[in-house]
Amino acid sequence: MKYDLGIIGAGPAGYVAAKKAGDEGLKVLLVEGKKLGGVCLNEGCVPSKTLLQAAKTYHHALHGETFGVEVSDVRFNFEKANAHKTKVMDGMREGIAGLMKKRKVEVLFGEATLGEGRKITVEGDTHEADNILICTGSSPTRPPIPGIDGDNVLDSTGILQLEQLPKSLVVVGGGVIGCEFACLFGSVGVPVTVLEALPEICPTLDSDLAKILRSELANKNVTFHLGAKVEEISQSEVKFSVNNESQVAQGERVLVATGRRPNVANLGLEELRVDYDERGGIQVDERCATNVPGVWAAGDVTGRAQLAHAASRMAEVVVHNITGRKDHMRYDTIPSVVYTSPEVAVVGLTKEQAIERGLKVTTGKIPMSVNARYLAEHPGERGLCKVVIEEGTRRLLGVHMIGGACSEMIFGAVTMLETELREEEIDEIVFPHPTASEVIKDVFMTVR
Amino acid sequence: MATPVIMPRLGQSVEDCILAEWKVAPGAAVEEGAVLAVIETDKASFDLESTATGTVLELFWEEGDDVPVLANVLAVGEEGEDVSDLRPQKETATPAPAPEKSQAPSSDALAPVVPVSASPVGSSEAGVSPRAGKLALRSGIDPESIQGTGPSGRVIERDVEAAAAGRPRLSASAAASARETGLEPPARGKGLAGMALAGDMQQPGAIEGAQVEPVKGIRKLIAERMMESLANTAQFTLNSTFDATAIQTYRKRKREEAGDASGPKITLNDLIAHALILTLKRHPDLNAHFLGDRIARFEEVHLGVAVDTPRGLMVPVLRSVCSKSLEDLSVGIKELVKSCLEGTVLPDQLSGGTFTLTNLGMLGIDHFTPVINPPEAAILGVGGISLRPVPGKDGEVTTAECITLSLTIDHQAVDGAPAARFLKDLVDTLENYPGEDVGQNNGEETT
Repeated sequence: MKYDLGIIGAGPAGYVAAKKAGDEGLKVLLVEGKKLGGVCLNEGCVPSKTLLQAAKTYHHALHGETFGVEVSDVRFNFEKANAHKTKVMDGMREGIAGLMKKRKVEVLFGEATLGEGRKITVEGDTHEADNILICTGSSPTRPPIPGIDGDNVLDSTGILQLEQLPKSLVVVGGGVIGCEFACLFGSVGVPVTVLEALPEICPTLDSDLAKILRSELANKNVTFHLGAKVEEISQSEVKFSVNNESQVAQGERVLVATGRRPNVANLGLEELRVDYDERGGIQVDERCATNVPGVWAAGDVTGRAQLAHAASRMAEVVVHNITGRKDHMRYDTIPSVVYTSPEVAVVGLTKEQAIERGLKVTTGKIPMSVNARYLAEHPGERGLCKVVIEEGTRRLLGVHMIGGACSEMIFGAVTMLETELREEEIDEIVFPHPTASEVIKDVFMTVR
Repeated sequence: MATPVIMPRLGQSVEDCILAEWKVAPGAAVEEGAVLAVIETDKASFDLESTATGTVLELFWEEGDDVPVLANVLAVGEEGEDVSDLRPQKETATPAPAPEKSQAPSSDALAPVVPVSASPVGSSEAGVSPRAGKLALRSGIDPESIQGTGPSGRVIERDVEAAAAGRPRLSASAAASARETGLEPPARGKGLAGMALAGDMQQPGAIEGAQVEPVKGIRKLIAERMMESLANTAQFTLNSTFDATAIQTYRKRKREEAGDASGPKITLNDLIAHALILTLKRHPDLNAHFLGDRIARFEEVHLGVAVDTPRGLMVPVLRSVCSKSLEDLSVGIKELVKSCLEGTVLPDQLSGGTFTLTNLGMLGIDHFTPVINPPEAAILGVGGISLRPVPGKDGEVTTAECITLSLTIDHQAVDGAPAARFLKDLVDTLENYPGEDVGQNNGEETT
């Protein structure tokens, strides 16, 4: 059987590509080694967000007194939260299976091996495809720390399968994943210690935002040690040093969240002569094409923008190019979100990135607490909205927010960046009142 | 009282100048003598200096415009002053005539006061259909910029549709950049669904992977003149090589005589020019202008010398050289070349030649086909020195430094044989330079 498109990996790149290609009338083969939906649906975004919502609800129940809601005997039932998580995941997977069936996408489960001439072998059967899309995702890295193979050490996949809350948790790595889990477990009463090797958590974020995130999480049972070098993990504690001074963090469980690595092994990429880049990912151009004609790659396996929505967009770009529509990636306008409480949502350039590109910029920032809706709903919670503007053209270059559910309004900023709106045009946009989104309009009053 | 700065008359033959580049903008404070703009005649460029002190009130022309001499170029005065009386009268686009007239009226009939250059492809003469006009307005397209496909080039709806389809949507910043800097979007931008982003905007007419600049000023004039030359003359090139031993020996002797003292350093080109002038005197057929219905043969030689300058090829003319000594000729050529390189050459020094000399020898060229500078009837090209076998005294073969001359003639004015005789005479003159009795061929050139 010969296919128009053979897709390896059914995560947010693979199933989106399959759906879109199916809509375009292509004959599609989708191969998945584990479960439909990939890490996002099964081991990442979806389960972690379900549990984060559980933690948020618990937190609101505990702290309702500001709003006059007095509740006693509030308990967190991890088992029930997990059941909800499983239900959401099962529902989503069924949804994807339905989408594939409707578009007559051939779905095969098993490990795929690629061969010259764009051949795909699954469970001994070989298939041919005019185009191959590799979107095998990424896996958590395991740094060489003594004791890292202990039973109490988990990665982001393992921690989502816990059936009981740990008594205490040490998180190695204060990046996005580490902060989200720290927020989740801290909010439900687990003492959490985050060990970050760099001077600030979430180093890709604007430092003002990272500072606020750290102080907000500190109110949720999370202790941070910055510049921390992890030396050894044992059964109930983690030894680390800050400025060569040894310290110990107590942790019944240890989460290692030090990054993810592209899944490129055992795919036959060497036989296909597909190039890798310096990050170890499959090298792709702006159309997500590899060096081998007809072979494409999207998502985490490229080592670029490790975000589910970036993967889906890359998949779209690939299908567009296969079907003759010109399209290419614009990484600058892909938003990033940290789903902590409060949420962090950013898009575009930070001031530092803009200066690095030789742009002359000015910035404006405004605390979320000036916003009526935010003040009403998030008493005592810090938040910030910051914009980066190019001098001269007054073009918006970046929007950086922390506070409430700002992930839900970042798309507005994405639209502004995609259409290259300037201060002058944004000034004429009407924002509904009262909403937290008004900060995006109001922040411009602070731009010099 | 606002004062106009006028386009100076830069020479008797100069009727208009191209405004190549503005050096000031409205609102700028200028003093008398300040450089306001760079202007170009058909041969050279000059600074336009302010004749008044004050604020620049209005620029009446755009870069690239052909401005007639003595026309007002800009106004200087006090801020807020009215300059409407000073604005020069320019040719304006004629309103579209009734579409029933299928034959476009001759633009000559309207005798434009000022020729406005760089006009768009517009087809205002054939008009724009009302439907096309409305669609153009809605699409933000200037219908004048569209080549119409209707009767007599009338712009009709489908032309506007095609123009609209060929241009991408612009992002807000790209649109601002188009308005403020005149940049244009590519056929497809890098933004949403091909939207043109600010970074995609390019100079009008840009070509990917190439630096594109408009053909204007001296480049444009060279292009026009070269094309005119090849289109209107019957060019025919003859090559002949001469033994340069005589002129090399003479040059060495001159140098030794001069020692370290100042005075002109005689070059091979000077010696060739001198021999050329001596020979031309004997061949008036070659020292001529072909004027279509008449041929003018000159008694005096006005020698054009091709000069490579940063702005392009220039051909300054050294006038009345027949009686000049080698030394005077050498000094004269050097001064002309210097003034071309410095941009101080006067427009009148760039016209009126009867014969042109061009030399690519120093660039390693053996021989080439020079292009005639009309209405001149001939041009001589000089190649580089190369060692060639020549017969020695006792019949053995020896080598000598040789130079190839390339003579292009306008066959309308001169035939091949007289041209060949001229070249032969020139070769003899050079090989026997300085010679006491050159010109034995005199009298044969008119056959």
